Amino acid sequence: MRELRVEHLFTAYDRADVLEDVSITVEKNSITCLLGSNGSGKTTLIRSILGLTPPRRGSILFGDRELTKLPTHRIVAEGIACIPEGRKIFPRLTVAENLRLGAYLEEDGRVIGERLERVFAVFPVLAQRREQLAGTMSGGEQAMVSIGRGMMGAPKLLLIDEPSLGLSPLFVQENFAVIRQINEQGVTVFLVEQNVHQTLAIAHRGYVLSKGSVVAQGTAQELLANDEVRAAYFGSGGER
Amino acid sequence: MALLGQYAMNGAMLGMMYALVAVGFTLFFGVLDVIQFSHGDVVAAGAFAGLLAYAALSFFGVHAPGVLLLAVILAAALATIVVGVLVARFLVLPIKGAPQLNVLLVTLMMGTVVRECIRLFFPNGSQPQRFPALLPSSGWNLGAFYLRFDNVILLTCGGLLIAATHLLITRTRLGLAIRAVAQDEETARTMGIDFKRVVLVTFALGSVLAAFAGVMDGLYYNEVFFGMGLLLGVIGFAAAILGGLGNLYGAIVGGFLFAALQTVGAVALPFASAYKDVFAFGVVIVLMAVRPTGLIGERVSERV
Repeated sequence: MRELRVEHLFTAYDRADVLEDVSITVEKNSITCLLGSNGSGKTTLIRSILGLTPPRRGSILFGDRELTKLPTHRIVAEGIACIPEGRKIFPRLTVAENLRLGAYLEEDGRVIGERLERVFAVFPVLAQRREQLAGTMSGGEQAMVSIGRGMMGAPKLLLIDEPSLGLSPLFVQENFAVIRQINEQGVTVFLVEQNVHQTLAIAHRGYVLSKGSVVAQGTAQELLANDEVRAAYFGSGGER
Repeated sequence: MALLGQYAMNGAMLGMMYALVAVGFTLFFGVLDVIQFSHGDVVAAGAFAGLLAYAALSFFGVHAPGVLLLAVILAAALATIVVGVLVARFLVLPIKGAPQLNVLLVTLMMGTVVRECIRLFFPNGSQPQRFPALLPSSGWNLGAFYLRFDNVILLTCGGLLIAATHLLITRTRLGLAIRAVAQDEETARTMGIDFKRVVLVTFALGSVLAAFAGVMDGLYYNEVFFGMGLLLGVIGFAAAILGGLGNLYGAIVGGFLFAALQTVGAVALPFASAYKDVFAFGVVIVLMAVRPTGLIGERVSERV
């Protein structure tokens, strides 16, 4: 069953990133990844889905709901959450307030409390730091806040943009484990990454984006085995 | 001693008015990074709307001061909400992406429009208007100093209003949304926050504070004037800047500090208390040169 379907999407941007005729399908309960180098248009696709940079043409179907004409807060209300590139925590709000904002659309205090417990179960350190200003935390802890905030919305679809960016390898590994855990709880994940090997290790399917177009797609195994993809986008077996 | 008490009370009244106006400036700057330069004239619009409500009710034979006062405050609040929200919706939001100077210019011109509308359309509007005394003018004799009830009531209400605003910003879901938008508009939107609604509500909130400042001004001086918002606006803006624009506490501190400077200027310059504004603004200029980010610097401040 399809959760998200992007069809023939064109997005122009006043910066360099541009999407040209991008079509992508994300199956329900899957982890689908989008690989590609810097400037290939990955973040632009996330921004288009969220309505932050509305596409010029094409369609984005979430279930059978068309998202392209909706404002961002309505798109989020449909059941989409985002763990953005660079974490984008609110630095002058406390950890607790950051997490509360993740569940902004939920007004039932009990439900919020339950979700909070779930986040604290995954990241116990956040429970100890709930009153700390998020901006005063380390990069790894801020990443936890950002992921926790994404979980707080209890979304159907979670968009994750470059979770490994700027983190130590140990943190990256932990974060990928958490992403898999979130997915196992029934959340569809659309994961945008440059970190090819770790991403394909947890993803079911993937797409490769280059210069704004999809140049390869398939299961994780297929993409790993694809010589062309390896040569062009992953370097000689290494990353980037 | 009695004179000193009088000065202190006068300074406190002025400080409360300035703080109410400054909090508005700081809220608007927080959510939208703009200076709403017609905010002072919104204060005047509130005071005159209150005056209209008073005239209308008096005409229909209502004379109970409590009812009249309530009507004055409600009318003032309603008028300022309408003006403030319209300015935000149709002047500020549409040019959000434009250079800051454009917003400054547009709101400055809007202020002139509001001011001139009061002058032209209010009966005999170019003259100062008598504002009714709706609060008891009795008081306590504290030694040689006479503490008037109306002043105490106004100060208390102003303080409560600022405290309520503070609670709203720091303790409620709406306040959380306002603070989130102030820090990072785009990320706030991805939390499901309706950005436009938050901006409009914030403008409504700041404008209600302006309405109270306008009514307070009228009740304190028993007179309002179509141009009253001009100086109040500049002072409120100066107070907000002085405290560190975008900082709620800073705006309050700035408001009272400016009033204190004026009062000190009036007391300490016995040769000419008419120079008290010159003195106060002069000190502000010096302070701004020393602390360009305001007294409560951005480093430790929590914006909005």
